[in-house]
Amino acid sequence: MSWLQKTFRALPMLCLLAAGWSAAKAEAPQLQPLPAPAKVDPALADLGRHLFFEPRLSGDGSRSCASCHIPARGFADGEPLSRGYNGTEYFRNAPGLLSVRLKPRLMWDGRGTELTAVVREMVLDAQFMNGNAGIIAERIRQMPPLFALWRRAFGERSEPRGEQAFLAIGEYLKTLDFGRSAVDAALRGEAGLPPLADQGMRLFTGKAGCVACHHGPLLSDGKPHRLGVPEHPALMREPLRTVSLLRHVALHKLPNPMATRGDPGVYAISKDPAERGSFITPGLRGLNHSAPYLHNGRFGSLDEVVDFHDRGGGPGSELRPLGLSQQERRALVAFLQALSAPLEKVAEPPAHDYNAVDGRRW
Amino acid sequence: MRRLAFIAMAFAALAAAAWAPSPSPSPLLGPASLASLPAVPVPAHNPMSEEKIALGRLLFFDARLSGDASTSCASCHLPQHGWSHSEALAPGYPGHRLWRNNPTVLNAAYFRHLMWDGTLDSLEIQARSAMQAPVEGNGKAFMVEMRLRLIPDYVERFRRVFGSEWPQLDDAWRAIAAFERTLVSDPRQVPFDRHLAGDRTALSPAARRGLALFEGKAGCVQCHHGALASDEGFHALGVPRQQLFDSNPRVQIAVRWQNRQRDVPRAVYRNRDEDLGRYYRTRDPADIGKFRTPSLRELKYTAPYMHNGVFATLREVVDFFDAGGGETANKSPLLKPLGLRSEEKTDLVAFLEALSMERPLLVAVPELPPILPLDGVVSTDCAAPAPAAKGSL
Repeated sequence: MSWLQKTFRALPMLCLLAAGWSAAKAEAPQLQPLPAPAKVDPALADLGRHLFFEPRLSGDGSRSCASCHIPARGFADGEPLSRGYNGTEYFRNAPGLLSVRLKPRLMWDGRGTELTAVVREMVLDAQFMNGNAGIIAERIRQMPPLFALWRRAFGERSEPRGEQAFLAIGEYLKTLDFGRSAVDAALRGEAGLPPLADQGMRLFTGKAGCVACHHGPLLSDGKPHRLGVPEHPALMREPLRTVSLLRHVALHKLPNPMATRGDPGVYAISKDPAERGSFITPGLRGLNHSAPYLHNGRFGSLDEVVDFHDRGGGPGSELRPLGLSQQERRALVAFLQALSAPLEKVAEPPAHDYNAVDGRRW
Repeated sequence: MRRLAFIAMAFAALAAAAWAPSPSPSPLLGPASLASLPAVPVPAHNPMSEEKIALGRLLFFDARLSGDASTSCASCHLPQHGWSHSEALAPGYPGHRLWRNNPTVLNAAYFRHLMWDGTLDSLEIQARSAMQAPVEGNGKAFMVEMRLRLIPDYVERFRRVFGSEWPQLDDAWRAIAAFERTLVSDPRQVPFDRHLAGDRTALSPAARRGLALFEGKAGCVQCHHGALASDEGFHALGVPRQQLFDSNPRVQIAVRWQNRQRDVPRAVYRNRDEDLGRYYRTRDPADIGKFRTPSLRELKYTAPYMHNGVFATLREVVDFFDAGGGETANKSPLLKPLGLRSEEKTDLVAFLEALSMERPLLVAVPELPPILPLDGVVSTDCAAPAPAAKGSL
């Protein structure tokens, strides 16, 4: 057994110890300002930016990463349930990508632990871009300006490879950050929040208890929780959504996929029945740009989300009713809104075209 | 079903006895002589039935088997183009272009090895390979299989034909293969087959002269014999380079990808922007540029010709052979300049056309069953699904 496996085996015990220790020290989870920007390899990140917007990464050359992660929508798509690849309809909401580098676990069910691996899944999986790594490599070679960027990033004699394309996109994603919000300024002691948002922040960290799960720089504990969010009716009403849900269940080898009628959440990944219907806590930055909310986009406004939490969530929820007044709920929403900063304009690279190349000269 | 297969085999044996001039290892390979097609061979593991054929016909036309639901078998194998494609190199899956001329499905059931380089061994495997290859169908198994399971009519048909609770993708390939085994020349409609059966008026005088050239002076029969008019062997002819290899970026992508996909040595991938043919299977440099002898049946409907579709007409093909083929390293010693006169070439073409049915084999494009909610829930906002005539989703 490697030290890594040993550490993982020992993890539950460590967690218990840590929990006991933190309880003893009574250390409340904290809000944190955004950390400094990540250091990236500029040539690699620039290549990644071109690849992020390049539809020829997808199987039929029609959809890029940016088709579902639209910069003007905080790199989400604005739909309750994302569409995915042509001929498919996905069964979950497309998450935004700003500050994705800070997420400890990626995807609503937490199946992503490493950014490059998630990029690979998105580009190659039948549900998202249905691409092929070998085809992608040859397509890059066929677009001379893009090939030049490739060699700038990977070396003068390098040849395109799908795996390295995913690495480059990951590098670009590390450059995407939320702007500094009013809350960041307040946390750094630079400026106070408006009174309503300030009251909301105190509720957030106090009576409403949001901070228990929503803490750290992204306001997420990165852990699975069950809120009892109602299933989106489209999952069973629109057959292509059902196809994508049941395929997901079959792909992750859960028993009896054809009997599935709802989103299994983290359970499909962990196989722990206790995690059926739970999802990784989403971050709370940039919410002004990323409606609708939650794993299936069931809530179109922050008011609805706050009301839902105030009620203690839905059936099977871990949450407890909060008994907030209408004024308090408004204050919470004001605080959540103060966590957004204006979106930075993203420079989209020009579209690349294929050129015929001399086949005997590489 | 077993009985059907037995009958098929009995027919094959009969046919061999009737038409093969001497004992041969396969009823399809009469040495150096042409023959009529026997009954279609049916593998024991996939017996034919009417219901299976009907299901296969639907699936053949159903684009939902492809990744983005755009491309069915029939997108590249069009009934109106002899179950092949009118372009030298067909587009294949959107965003691509294929590197080889796609062969006709007609009579494919008789070949022991499929594809220009003979790398696939059954129609079942070919169907799967084509619908899953990124450049052709790009359909990934779980996604496509789950789509089939949400089409109630398919669920019912798969259950009846295969006895499975839910459609299994491997059964889809079986059904498609069964359908393809019905796409064979009808000897009653093929002048040459009627000629073999004793109808002395079946061939025109030009075609009769062409037949004599075919078996004599032109020597075509050396490789084009048996019921398929193919020795199923691999030969290098030096077919001219397909110019799309130099001008079309998508073709260039396909060529490099195919070479890399077939895991050729690095130096080959870097220096040979061409189709190496049989070499991919054997890795023997002596097989570079060799391709399987195609059948000469149904040529009337399957232009353009050769593995790269470089010839648009049969006359061009005949001219090429008359000149003794082209230049290539492993060129077949059987190719020599023939010295045919223009009228003789016309006669040869007339004979080649007499190997086709007088009218093309067509099949009505079926109306495809709709994909519906799993539990039959139909709400007002997704309404009753329109009849999905083109397999739209």
